[in-house]
Amino acid sequence: MIRPFGEAAFLVEVPDADRAQAVARRLREGPPGGVLGAVPGRRSILVEVDPLSPAIETIPEALERLVVATATDEPPDGRLHEIAVRYGGADGPDLPDVARLASISTDEVIRRHTTAELRVLLVGFAPGFGYLGGLDAALAVVPRLATPRTRVPAGSVAIADAMSGIYPADLPGGWRIIGRTSVAMFDPSLDPPSLLLPGDRVRFTVMASSP
Amino acid sequence: MTIEVLEPGALTTVQDSVGRHGCRHLGVPVGGAADRWSARLANRLVGNAVADAGIEVTMAGPVLRFESPSTIALVGGLDATVDGLPLAPARARAVRAGSVVRIGSGPDARAYLAIAGGVALPRVLGSASTDLRTGFGGYEGRALQAGDRLRVGRPAGGAARWTGAGAEGPIRIVPGPHADRLAGTTGLTSARWRIGTDADRTGIRLDGPRIEALGQEVDSMGMPEGAVQVPPDGRPIVMLADRPVTGGYPVPWVVIAADVSRLARLRPGAEVRFLEVTFDDARAAWAEAERQLTATEPLADDEADAPGGWAGSHE
Repeated sequence: MIRPFGEAAFLVEVPDADRAQAVARRLREGPPGGVLGAVPGRRSILVEVDPLSPAIETIPEALERLVVATATDEPPDGRLHEIAVRYGGADGPDLPDVARLASISTDEVIRRHTTAELRVLLVGFAPGFGYLGGLDAALAVVPRLATPRTRVPAGSVAIADAMSGIYPADLPGGWRIIGRTSVAMFDPSLDPPSLLLPGDRVRFTVMASSP
Repeated sequence: MTIEVLEPGALTTVQDSVGRHGCRHLGVPVGGAADRWSARLANRLVGNAVADAGIEVTMAGPVLRFESPSTIALVGGLDATVDGLPLAPARARAVRAGSVVRIGSGPDARAYLAIAGGVALPRVLGSASTDLRTGFGGYEGRALQAGDRLRVGRPAGGAARWTGAGAEGPIRIVPGPHADRLAGTTGLTSARWRIGTDADRTGIRLDGPRIEALGQEVDSMGMPEGAVQVPPDGRPIVMLADRPVTGGYPVPWVVIAADVSRLARLRPGAEVRFLEVTFDDARAAWAEAERQLTATEPLADDEADAPGGWAGSHE
């Protein structure tokens, strides 16, 4: 479905994150007349347009055709990143709660978080923040915090709503923090500036469990 | 040519009017001037290109010394002087070697200082704008401090004054993608609001009645400028330049593009009212705002030298 998002944008809804990336990629590479930019979301693309473009009436149709055309687009070959994490203790203040919510032990949380190969669904919220899908089913039940923290330390590794993520900088955050990594997620002097790209895969590894 | 920062002001940053558009899919916010219209007008008045960087001044402004002659323009409701004499807003002004420009406070929250030639800083990820949250771009990724020295590019020439008129009245909104999630009758248009004291470049939080029962969050989606998000606490936030690229709270309304700049001028505590309009109205308003940007008249050399105190047009 395609609907307006204000008078200068459309919201294009698609079945999944990979499709959103495919549509956004095509729009970046060859925008139709009047299209100024595209931002892929979890299951959507925000398409920003020139509100005065004479093509504005035809843009929704062009976007529908693009959604259909991308049905067979293959996601790019992502890289595999192995990211070492210090779990628990001061680095993972929410680990005990996560264990409780998932009805398993903290060791089991760590085992399940490090076993699955997770996939970067999209990068948003902050520069270099990858939303990682494919979280183990037992951990997928864990919701966000009722009250977000005003400051989550950079490198914090967190889970919520069936996804995992790494905070690339000190940021406010509502996800549950189970550990911390020293790996740099974002550097504006590099090309690309984000370590994680949509379609990349992540395997977390244990650096050391804090007591 | 160098400008020395003698006093930094409350929050003074290098921003261009365009921001970063190439890597939003990597989570990099657009950024740039919160009031893009004023930043663009200021550049026009001194003959700059659209993407030339200028200085965004917030609440209480800096004191700057110009080491060489230059042409400047200030757009926005903050009082300013050049060597002690009033600086007329929205009008190019020549400054001499050694001139001191002092920008104070005024009826608006923000103003934009353009310098002919633009502030010369490396573009990071496509823009010289300052990303304060992550700390890159602009002047070392931070607000200006006393002792900082800004280099200025080569001027293209030209000096002008604005002869247009600004829009007035309520801030206009259109329905957002989650307009159907509103429960209860309280909406933006049915109440009076004040700009929250915690308003910043990320968003303007509005003080007023709680917006009721929007249920759970939504899938993370791209957020345009002007989107009004309603988090679980019921306190609406209007997205501005530094907003995160994606958001997960419902958006029942969007401030029209033409009025985001007007909203960004309002000081914390200022009262604001909203009016719902059609998409056609919103596009017409954008066309009008663009037209008003071009309402300028060139100044002769001696006119640009004249000190302020001249009661010309104000936006």
